[in-house]
Parts: sequence; structure tokens; C-alpha cells
Amino acid sequence: MSVSSPSVFLVNVMGQIECGRFLNGDNLRFHCCFTAGHDWEVVTGLEEFMSQTACRSDDERQVFVWNFPFDITFKSTNPFGWPQVILSVYGTDFFGNTVIMGYTACHVPITPGKYTRRLTTFVPESASTVQKLLSWLTGRRPEFLDPKLIAQGRGREVTRVRSQGEVTITFNVMMKDFTKFGYDCGATGKTPYLAVQPQPQRSVTVPSEGQSEA
Amino acid sequence: MVSFSPPPSFQVKKSVWTLMAEVHIIGQLSGTSGFPCASLFCKWSLQLGGGWKVVEGVSEGQTQADQSDTGNTSTWCHPIDLHLSTRGIQGWPRLLLQVYRQDDLGRVDLCGYGVTHVPTRPGHHTLVCHTWRPVGTFGEEVRRAFLGGGPQLLSTEFIHSSLERYRLHTIAAGLVHLELGIILRNFEKYGVIY
Repeated sequence: MSVSSPSVFLVNVMGQIECGRFLNGDNLRFHCCFTAGHDWEVVTGLEEFMSQTACRSDDERQVFVWNFPFDITFKSTNPFGWPQVILSVYGTDFFGNTVIMGYTACHVPITPGKYTRRLTTFVPESASTVQKLLSWLTGRRPEFLDPKLIAQGRGREVTRVRSQGEVTITFNVMMKDFTKFGYDCGATGKTPYLAVQPQPQRSVTVPSEGQSEA
Repeated sequence: MVSFSPPPSFQVKKSVWTLMAEVHIIGQLSGTSGFPCASLFCKWSLQLGGGWKVVEGVSEGQTQADQSDTGNTSTWCHPIDLHLSTRGIQGWPRLLLQVYRQDDLGRVDLCGYGVTHVPTRPGHHTLVCHTWRPVGTFGEEVRRAFLGGGPQLLSTEFIHSSLERYRLHTIAAGLVHLELGIILRNFEKYGVIY
């Protein structure tokens, strides 16, 4: 690691997408992607991935466990456009069709540390009751064309959704050189700045009147 | 108005003192709880003082309308990502929230107003904003219960201004939940502690 003045800061996010709780549906799998602003770039790690297919547990918890690990590092010069994680959960309904079970998104935590987030998922609603009945029978439920829509604020006012289910994600966040840019994200354990050690001052004695330097 | 200006005895290049203090607000409007109606959405906007400037990001918006299955809570997951710069701490940003409900016929009805200051300490914050709505006469309330359409504020100034609030008669509505992360920059260079 270099101690010269840095040109980018790094944010490393790792963790697991632990489990999901949904009342309906079975054989759930999710598609996950990380999205960030224009100033951000992925250094290492997978930006998009798909999980295994999980069945509902037999016990009273009725939970879908994926325990899916992720590890990604971003570099940037500007906190604007902070990375977000977007999840699209798919499953089979009563008739065996693969339908969308929920979308959710959240920002990666901005302070280093360990976090557990429980995110509620939602699905788009049909425009009318007739369409709702038809989509329930044919198994073609309304979906977002591009799941990255839910990571944006624009265009959300025309969407009608129904919230159902939740997903639990654990994050571990580390940063490098973030404070050297002058940013303060509320991190408690500050890494000591690696600077050149100051030379010890030699004491200088000034001879007063009547005394020689010796 | 307190603004940042260099002390006269300090000999320094002018370019250092044109550094603006910056605030990043990164988070989301999570949802609501405690509202007695479903299919809620929120119109939010950022209220800034005179010395502030929005560098990047959208300072107002409208969330999706959530017809929730899960009891009396709604989920919006509406992201907020703002980059602001300022010359002073007066007029610290505030979020104005107006919660409406949309029924099956597409009519929009007011459910609550709320205002919350953006936190001043960097880090992650979970905020809960209490909302209220204006209350009419007994006849208006009965009409609102059956037909909708109760009294609304003509101007959003009443939500954030402290001066004119004494004119209002209000009743409590539900709670709006926000998760905000705050990153500050260059504030300690001006001697501001938080």
C-alpha cells in the first residue's frame, strides 16, 4: 500500500445473502446485481450473480436459506452514486409457473463495520382486476423490464406495488483512503495516517550575555 | 448569518478558503407504519437554506404506491442520493414529506405531512418521522371518512415554517421510516464540530 496522496478511495463490501421469508411460493432463487454511479468502478468481484434454488424449510420457521456469499471492491473519487444492491427473487407459484416473488434494493452501508439488514420485498401490481386474474391464471405476472429501476428515484411515481416477503442480508464493509479525501463517514476506529515521522528537534542553547558557547 | 470567512491575521492563499464544506446524504425512504389506510405513496422534497447548493442528485421526488399485504406497513425502498455544498451551517437541509393514499379508482387523498432534519453527525441513522394532517369540522371529518377529501394545506410552507403553525388544528397520522447515511467533508477545517 502506498503512502503517497491517493487518487481514488476503495470500498470493499462482502457478506452473505442469508435467507428469505415468503408466505407463498416455493423453489425460490434470486438474481442479484450491484449498481453504482458514474464515478464508481468495480475493481474486483462479481457485479451480477444468480443464486441456487432453495426450498421452503420443513420446520416451523418456513424460511428459504441461500447463504450466498458476495465479495466486491469498488473504487471512486466521489461518494455520490454510492453502490446499491438490487435483488429480484423468483419462485414457482401454485400452478408451477416461475413468477416474480419480490424486488428489493438498498444502499451498501456507508460506515465500515458489520451490518444485518432485513429488507421487505415488493412486486408490481396489475393495472386492473381483470388483468390480475388473467396473470394469476396464466402465470405471467407483471415484472419490471429492468430491475435497476428500483435503484433510482426517477420514474417510481407511476409504479404500483404490493409488498410481501422479506430478505436478510449481512454486510461487512471496509474502506481504504476514504478519510484522506477529507470525508468523514462516522467511522469510530480511525486508521493512523501513515506520514513521514518528524525529525526530533535538537535543542538550541543561545548563549546569554557574559557566557561563551563552550 | 454565520458564514465561513478567514480570520484576518491568518496569512494563507485565497484558494484554500474557497473550499466548500460538503454533505452527502445517501439512504432511502423505507416505508411507513401506523397509517390506517393502504396504497400509500410519498412526495418528498429537500428544503435548503440560502447558502446551500445541490451539486449532484435529485432534490425531490415521488415514491411508488404500495398496496401492502403486511398489516399496516408500507414499503417504498425509494433511494435518496444527494451531494450538497455549503458556505455556512444555517439552513441545514430538511426533508419535507407528504404522504398520500391512492384508491382503486385512482383518486389521491392526503394522509399526512411531516418534516425531519437531515442528521448532522456522519454515519448511518434510522429516522422515524411523525406525521400529522389538518383536522376539519365534525361534518368534514364524517365526510372524509366516507368519501375522502379532507382539508389540505394550500402551501407547503406551513410544513417547514415555525412561524405560521399556530393557525393549524391537526391530528396525528402514522410514522414514516427513513434510513439515511451522512458523509461530511471539510467541516473540521472551519472549526465546526459535530
